[in-house]
Amino acid sequence: MTKRLAVVLGLLVAVVALAATAQAGLRAHKVTNITVAGWSSGPDEDALVQQMVNKFNATHSSVHASWTVINGDYGAAMTARFAARNAPDVFYVDSSVIGSWEKQGVIQPLNSFVKKSHYNTKAFYPKLLGAFKKGSTIYGFPKDWSPLATEVNNNLFGRAGIKSAPRTWAQLRSDAKTMVQKGVSKHPICLSADWARMGAFMYQNGGSLTKNLTSGANAAAVNFYVGLLKSGLAYTPPAGSWCGQELGQGHAAIIFEGNWLLPYMKSTYPNVHFGIRPMVKGKQNGNLAFTVSWSMAKSSSNKPAAWTLLSWLTGKQGEKLWMSKGLALSPRSDVKSIGGRGPFLAAAPFAHGWGFGNPNFASAYTVMGNDLNAVISGSKTTKQMLSDVSNALKGH
Amino acid sequence: MATAGATEAAPTRLRSSMFGARLGEAAWGYGFALVPFAVFGIFFIYPFIYAVYISFFHWGILGKQPGASGTYNYAKVLHDPVFHTALKNIAEYTVAVVPLEMALGLLLALLINGKIRGRNFFRAGFYFPSIASSVAITVIILYFFSPTGPFNTFFGFSTDWFGNASTVGWSIVGLNAWTTSGTVMIFYLAALQSISNDVYEAAALDGASAWRTFWKITFPLLRPAHFFCLVVFGIGALKLFDQSFIVSGGTGGPNYATTTPILYIYQQAFKTFDFGVASAAGVVFLGIILVLTVAQWFTIGRQEAS
Amino acid sequence: MTLQTVAAAEPAIPGRPRSQIVRRVLFYGLVIGLALVFFIPFVYTISTSFKTIPDSVNVTLIPHPWTTEAWHQMWTQYDFKLFFKNSFILCAVIVTCNIFLAGLGGYAFARLKFPGRDLLFLVVLATIMVPDQLRLIPIYVMLTHWHLIGNFYGYILINLVTATNLFFMRQYFLTIPKDFEEAAKLDGAGQFKTFWRVMLPLALPAIGALTILQFQGTWNDFFWPLILFQGQPHLYTVQLGLANLRFTFTTLWPQIAAGSIIAIVPILVIFLALQRFFVSGAVTAGVKG
Repeated sequence: MTKRLAVVLGLLVAVVALAATAQAGLRAHKVTNITVAGWSSGPDEDALVQQMVNKFNATHSSVHASWTVINGDYGAAMTARFAARNAPDVFYVDSSVIGSWEKQGVIQPLNSFVKKSHYNTKAFYPKLLGAFKKGSTIYGFPKDWSPLATEVNNNLFGRAGIKSAPRTWAQLRSDAKTMVQKGVSKHPICLSADWARMGAFMYQNGGSLTKNLTSGANAAAVNFYVGLLKSGLAYTPPAGSWCGQELGQGHAAIIFEGNWLLPYMKSTYPNVHFGIRPMVKGKQNGNLAFTVSWSMAKSSSNKPAAWTLLSWLTGKQGEKLWMSKGLALSPRSDVKSIGGRGPFLAAAPFAHGWGFGNPNFASAYTVMGNDLNAVISGSKTTKQMLSDVSNALKGH
Repeated sequence: MATAGATEAAPTRLRSSMFGARLGEAAWGYGFALVPFAVFGIFFIYPFIYAVYISFFHWGILGKQPGASGTYNYAKVLHDPVFHTALKNIAEYTVAVVPLEMALGLLLALLINGKIRGRNFFRAGFYFPSIASSVAITVIILYFFSPTGPFNTFFGFSTDWFGNASTVGWSIVGLNAWTTSGTVMIFYLAALQSISNDVYEAAALDGASAWRTFWKITFPLLRPAHFFCLVVFGIGALKLFDQSFIVSGGTGGPNYATTTPILYIYQQAFKTFDFGVASAAGVVFLGIILVLTVAQWFTIGRQEAS
Repeated sequence: MTLQTVAAAEPAIPGRPRSQIVRRVLFYGLVIGLALVFFIPFVYTISTSFKTIPDSVNVTLIPHPWTTEAWHQMWTQYDFKLFFKNSFILCAVIVTCNIFLAGLGGYAFARLKFPGRDLLFLVVLATIMVPDQLRLIPIYVMLTHWHLIGNFYGYILINLVTATNLFFMRQYFLTIPKDFEEAAKLDGAGQFKTFWRVMLPLALPAIGALTILQFQGTWNDFFWPLILFQGQPHLYTVQLGLANLRFTFTTLWPQIAAGSIIAIVPILVIFLALQRFFVSGAVTAGVKG
């Protein structure tokens, strides 16, 4: 072989060898017994879960858990792992996808573990636990939840001379009108073109997301929501933004978001003074409950150890630690949420599950969003959208 | 007669050695292409054949599931109005963006190919948007073109360029033409190097203007580069996914305006977990691209290779 | 070829210089204008990297207040030294393999005759069309099965050579006059020697371009490292590290900006270093000589 070729091959071998030794060195340090994974909504969350895992490891000598964050496309990354049967042992599952993941057979039913260890399932709020149950089979335990509330920009409200946040649909409309008339805000309300917000309004008008989707009550609620947008009192957040960002930047005076708004505002817009009030009501109170569970992989080869971790994370000790930073609300009646969350907690009796149990939910959600945009722009009627979504939820 | 015998013997020997040489050349040809082909075979062709296989079944995350089989998935895909919209969207997008990218890239390459001052600076500058990862660039651009962002504030617009069903298509065309033209420029720069200066000097001596020199000489000589860019960037455009995913948050909206065939495949696979339908859509779409590429090959690409 | 060199070749005629100046001004005006448009995001990113988190959502060019917090954090808190090392190793290996294999394969398809060559080439082109999303599951399952997931080997294997690179090398080899190979054959060189000693050196501009583009491709690759390395922090590349900064709601813009700049610098350096292979005359010298 020529000299040049030898040099190139030699370099290649050297680089590959370097890569190999780099990993070999690290392999010696890796001592994982079970793997834990989830996404992270901020550095606070990541640090807190790590703290919880550390505490668990310190108090459990026979199990060692290692936590990794999967940011980016959580669904795709997990799907690939499920397909290869090497998913993490314990991981997050959002209530809107538990139905389809369970149907695909990748989630471990937990009833036998609950029985064996006499786990107290009664401490969990029934509606939240119900999100992860199919019949009587439990597929995960909720680790937290949040409903929607009304958040307002105190400064803009003060300038418009409005004393308190709107409580009813009528007040919502009139407050917005006042703000426009007084020149305080061009379009005061930020409404996402998202059924995950509009759904609350549907319940407030006596409608439902799970029964009789094409009802007149639902249609009227949709028309109210879209009406606000069409009249200019409300606007949808631009591409790449969300209502939380709009509130922080002062473009919106009234938004409807959940507890996740608070850590976001604290770190990104600490100087914006905003107030949290209970969600507005229509004919009645109505809200959506967003929740995430800790679940176990069916392909896990360390199920008893995984259960030890899972039950601890959602148990009193783990939840207490998790609640300490106020990133979400407590799913257990025996663990208190952090202070100042009154408006969210008040919604508990009226909060309906978001996507609970329906295995067609994720694909129906695409139809929901696109059709709602069409209704807002006028190319589809409310009736058409409701029937499209109804069919999608049934799996057509 | 020695000479007669010699001339008779010579052709046979020549023929057999020529045949031997051709056999040898073929062997070398296969040998050289062996490793690349193994890689393509294992990581592209096999997954594709696998996709074709599962497109005939009801297939979930863990494998085959009871349910419809045969051509059911294909029927579903071909009758799905969302898939039709995806095809229409991608056709419009490709026809708009590819000529734009190629023209812009060629222009940039021509501009900085010669001795101009600050050549290095300009080369780096034009290549710059291509360097940054598509995620970072898209997010920055979303900000720039937001309703109250710098662009609108400067020019006095108020449109939500990436949030409106009617403007988002063109906005993504602009975005991608801008970020890809730097890469096209690189390919054309390399190709321009293979045209020797003698050719230009001869043209200059003949009194040809820059414009005529370009169209009559340079442009035709760049044929292999044109074919390459058309195929590679054409296919790249047809495979649009990243920007539509980021801009729409994965929904393909607003109102299906950013739905592309690849996004459709992604949604079927990773949201609905219907891998059979996703694969059927993949096979259909690939068939379309293949037909287009073969057409390009037969019209532009057939080169007189030795 | 440029507008410049052709203009320079024309003899000076009275009255000509003015139109030449106008042409020059227009030319530089166009180039500078274009460069500005292309540079804007970089300028904005630099500025953002010196902002505080709350200020980073503002559309201003000047940070107010000014801080180096993000840069400090990049280097101390996030393990970017490790991410850099990983990204560099992967790039070096993959670029080298691609140059060799794409060059070999490209040459074969351009210059060597073997039965079924054109059909096989179409098949190679066809592989460019297979989208990543479709390949994801079968490849992931395969690599897991072969234990190539918790390390770099799987990723390197699937990126050993790309059809685009092979295609590009083939196109370039087609433009090289056959005189060179014939000369080499007359000298008695075999196929591999001809390739290695004669053709590959002649393809330096193409190799330069390929290096830049493959380095950039691997350096910026996010999809496959996300799927293959997610959950193994010691394998993370620069892009994965950056992505983890983009949490769902809280986006640490200054940190991402600083990280993006750090991420871009190596490619810029490689580009500036390899640019000279594009300079006109580098290859033509070989033709004349």
